Amino acid sequence: MKQNKQISTLLWGAVVLGALGVFGSYVAAGPERFWANWVLWFVLLFTLGLGSLFIVALEHLVNAKWSVPIRRIPERVSTLLLPAIPVGLIALGAIPVLYPGARPEAAHHPILAGKAFWLSLPFFSVRTLIALGLCILGLWVLVGGSLKQDTTKDPAFNFRARKFAPAFMAIFALVITLVAFDWISGLTPEWYSDIFGVYVFAGAFLSGLAATVLAVLHLQDQDRLEGVRGDHLYNLGAFLFAFTVFWSYIGFAQYMLMWYANFPDEVIYYKVRLVGAWRVITIALAALHFVLPFFALVTREAKKDPKRLRRVAYLMLGAHVLDVYWLIFPVLGTKPHFSWPELSFALFFLGGILLWIRGAMQKGEDMPVGDPFLREGLEFRL
Amino acid sequence: MSETSYAVLGIFDTPDALMQAIPKVRASKLGTVEAYTPYPIHGIDEALGLRRSPLGGMVLVMGVLGALTAFGFQYWISAIDYPIVTGGKAANSWEAFIPIMFEVMVLFATFTAGLGMLLLLNKLPFFGHPVLSSKAITGITRDRYVLALEAESEAFDSAAAAQALQGAGAVEIEVLPAPDRSPFLTSDFILRTAGGIFTACLVAGLVMFLTIKWFPLLAPMKYMQDQPRLNAQKGSTFFKDGHGMQMPVAGTVARGYLPTATGTQEAAATLVNPLPRTKEVFAVGRKAFANRCEVCHGALGNGMGSLTAAYGGKPANLQAQQFRDYPDGKIYWAIVNGKNAMPSQAADLTEAQRWSVVHYVRALQRAQNAKDEDLKVVAP
Repeated sequence: MKQNKQISTLLWGAVVLGALGVFGSYVAAGPERFWANWVLWFVLLFTLGLGSLFIVALEHLVNAKWSVPIRRIPERVSTLLLPAIPVGLIALGAIPVLYPGARPEAAHHPILAGKAFWLSLPFFSVRTLIALGLCILGLWVLVGGSLKQDTTKDPAFNFRARKFAPAFMAIFALVITLVAFDWISGLTPEWYSDIFGVYVFAGAFLSGLAATVLAVLHLQDQDRLEGVRGDHLYNLGAFLFAFTVFWSYIGFAQYMLMWYANFPDEVIYYKVRLVGAWRVITIALAALHFVLPFFALVTREAKKDPKRLRRVAYLMLGAHVLDVYWLIFPVLGTKPHFSWPELSFALFFLGGILLWIRGAMQKGEDMPVGDPFLREGLEFRL
Repeated sequence: MSETSYAVLGIFDTPDALMQAIPKVRASKLGTVEAYTPYPIHGIDEALGLRRSPLGGMVLVMGVLGALTAFGFQYWISAIDYPIVTGGKAANSWEAFIPIMFEVMVLFATFTAGLGMLLLLNKLPFFGHPVLSSKAITGITRDRYVLALEAESEAFDSAAAAQALQGAGAVEIEVLPAPDRSPFLTSDFILRTAGGIFTACLVAGLVMFLTIKWFPLLAPMKYMQDQPRLNAQKGSTFFKDGHGMQMPVAGTVARGYLPTATGTQEAAATLVNPLPRTKEVFAVGRKAFANRCEVCHGALGNGMGSLTAAYGGKPANLQAQQFRDYPDGKIYWAIVNGKNAMPSQAADLTEAQRWSVVHYVRALQRAQNAKDEDLKVVAP
């Protein structure tokens, strides 16, 4: 208890200190850098929450039984979509600063002028609001309903969720594509890639999985989640393992096609990321997001080894931050920016996310006790 | 002669009884303990002490090997053996190798997994496992759980094994005789297999032949033929003159073939041969001379080539005093522009080859008019 209080105080301290740095960076480092950081953390928060919600919806969609005992964890992590709303609303301030399509110069640009309606501030904002609203709808049906089932024990929720899950998959695809195209690839509106939404989805799913793994292991350390065994961990580890390959497959497919075609307007996107310090970051990204976790999880034992899983999950979350940083920060110039403004933002948002998750981990029961399939899920064996 | 048996089967009514019997039977150490059940039973692998299959490691090694093979193969083809610039990319472009590396990795890995499982670990081909011909098999596929003590050697004691199984709680005992291990690859079997494959090929070929004969419009793959492209020696509506092949634009010169003209021969007299007198340069000159000059000027450059007799032409005798006194530039000029009946060689010899030929002609002249001091040069 006392230790809990100390951690809370520490996190609040980090948030306050970070907030000071965040305000300071707007004044000292300029609005461009401030907004790039803000968009970075908005995207991270959003992908983490939406990726977790996707895990929940996926379980309902395929009617998975093994995951019922741990379903409450991604449900709790997906509540990060709630703080993502104010963060997203503030992020709208970045549009006239960072996004060329919404700036007055765009009217004279031959390509951007044609897309003016889509890229302009009003419609951009409307799309973001729609995306956030759809996420809240998913959160309300899937997570809200599940929390209510704890007390009502009403199996009707399972049927409702199973019917809603396919619709949510369509919503999810729309939302993650909108966010990927608008907030990330909108920074370079002359460049486009059809597969970009899928790439961001792969990262989002991996980050949601990594957060779930970490939360499960953390709760197990506190002797909660009794009955969750190596068999459940193995499935989570296998998901992590498989999707590192999926992420690199999509990322490389996108890169290779553009490298082959060598169209100036497409290849410039990779050109800026393959010279100087960005080249080092690109290689590090491939190593940390694919090679290292892939070989760390390749054996069967590794996928259910809590120690190894915990390390890989931390690595995966770090790699996801690096991935989004790699996607957004080249807009600021050919040199990667990393100093006190970035650290302040990290302090502020990481502190906030951890505080939120700590609160969310007390929400409802640790397992969906009202779910009729809980027993079957606990008995799951490989 | 006592019949050696393959195994003794102990039949149990419940999976729990089977699980409890396993440690006792294993402790008897009479043979290999194997279980046959209608469905997988959790924890039975650990109880039987089964080792992890080595298949995963084999697949990993072969997968990596496949990827490396594909990389090496492509690297050798595109960077060493036959480098062609495609799409402006470097000959050694790892990006282009990745898809094939991936495919070959998957190919090696799946073949290793499939064949390794069937041939190495399951020891196929093997027709009919002895347990399949036991009386207990109907129970094994339905609701009986069987523990088998399988013989490891000739000294297998089936009576002791039966006792051990009974002691462990088996409700029924069955002794399996040794299986018939007579070779199945008899000439009859091979003949029938080969005949079957031959007949299948014949039928498939006939069907294919008749399909193409009767439905010629259904050519299997025509996409590559129907491209809107220009073909050599074929007409085309793309150009005004209706030819698919076009002359190069006037004044086009290939790389390395400049210059094409050097004024008058007298003006060219001052040109200096830019190439050093090295073994390599003489080798290039010798080859070019043999290809382009020898047929008229002769192997010695004395104007006695094989064409001279046939056509009665009179090519220059390069050994004549007039040509021995020529400066290098004038010979070079004749190669580039041609002289009298000799046509220009400019389109066939690169700039480097032309000057190499000049060096070689000088060597021929010196060889036919050697001086005493030439013999003194000894440098081992």
